[in-house]
Amino acid sequence: MSRIYIFFALILLAAIAAGMVRILRGPTAADRMMVAQLFGTCGVAILLLLAKGLDNMVLLDIALVFSLLAALATMTFVRRTWQGNDGEGADGYPS
Amino acid sequence: MPEDTRIFNFCSFADLGRRMPLRFFLFSLVWFVLTGYDGAGWIIGFPAVLLAACLSLLLSPSPGISISLVGACRFIPFFLRQSTLSGIDVMRRALSPRPVINPGLVSYSTFLPEGAARVFFVNTISLLPGTLSADLHDNRVTVHTIDRDQPIWANMQNLELHIAVLLRVSSVKEKK
Amino acid sequence: MDILHNAGMFFIILGLPFFLSGTVGLLRFPDIFTRLHALTKADNVGLGLIIFGLALQSDSWLMVARLFLIWLLVLIASSASCHLVARCAMQKKIQPWSRP
Repeated sequence: MSRIYIFFALILLAAIAAGMVRILRGPTAADRMMVAQLFGTCGVAILLLLAKGLDNMVLLDIALVFSLLAALATMTFVRRTWQGNDGEGADGYPS
Repeated sequence: MPEDTRIFNFCSFADLGRRMPLRFFLFSLVWFVLTGYDGAGWIIGFPAVLLAACLSLLLSPSPGISISLVGACRFIPFFLRQSTLSGIDVMRRALSPRPVINPGLVSYSTFLPEGAARVFFVNTISLLPGTLSADLHDNRVTVHTIDRDQPIWANMQNLELHIAVLLRVSSVKEKK
Repeated sequence: MDILHNAGMFFIILGLPFFLSGTVGLLRFPDIFTRLHALTKADNVGLGLIIFGLALQSDSWLMVARLFLIWLLVLIASSASCHLVARCAMQKKIQPWSRP
């Protein structure tokens, strides 16, 4: 019965993997960074399902840290990388 | 509104003695939820909660808001319904054979006062159907909408009123 | 107990399509703003449904509280980072895609 949770987690993993195409396509750095956001929410859901499926409550704490780290990563990216000069033109597209 | 509907009241003057215990209690609650009934955990938990409470007072001494219980009872179902609708809306647009979108920018000026109420408004916009807060200058919020045919203006006003009731903002005083 | 378990399973299964459509939107929508729409809204609803389903299946109130705390934190974090990315895109003068 608990295998079904792991199956659900695999579906979500496939959703992340498909989202990775956006990293390749871009075009702006923020488009790529959005996949990290996807990783955050999907990752939390995967960890919650695994916590249930493997009956390991430690994964719940990892899920919590994961969500906060994803938010932190996006904020740092916006403040430090994207607002500064990183080889992109004023329009946000690679120059 | 009668006094007994208040659950929090940060509104008062700079009396630390009153705010500190409340924040200490809230952070203790978070710690309890995270760690459970483990008594030994409080050896780390107590200093951590104390530091968190001090830090939050340092960073935001007075949020200047008070939450109304009646407002919360109205706001939570409203928010849950609207955010579910927004998910369904996005799903419908993303999965249709040709993405049905007609995006555009709308400028909206809010009567909500600066600070917690406005920040809350801006963050909630992004979770409602078809709207995304893109910018904030003073009281003008730039909203990106995924469908210009939707009644954006009415939705914004509806949300604004819900937040005004939730955070006890008197709309009459601020509106010009 | 069995009814709660099945109801929980129903909500978990209901949550999965939202995640998938969030990814589809991320890949198909034409510009950064519309992609943010897809990502923020669909994923949060999906996570909310999965958390609601797991909460129905959990056996202690503490676990329910913990799950909802996680949901609340993800909600705050994703709406804040969504706004930050959108605002930065506006400052960079990225033109929103509009229907020709």
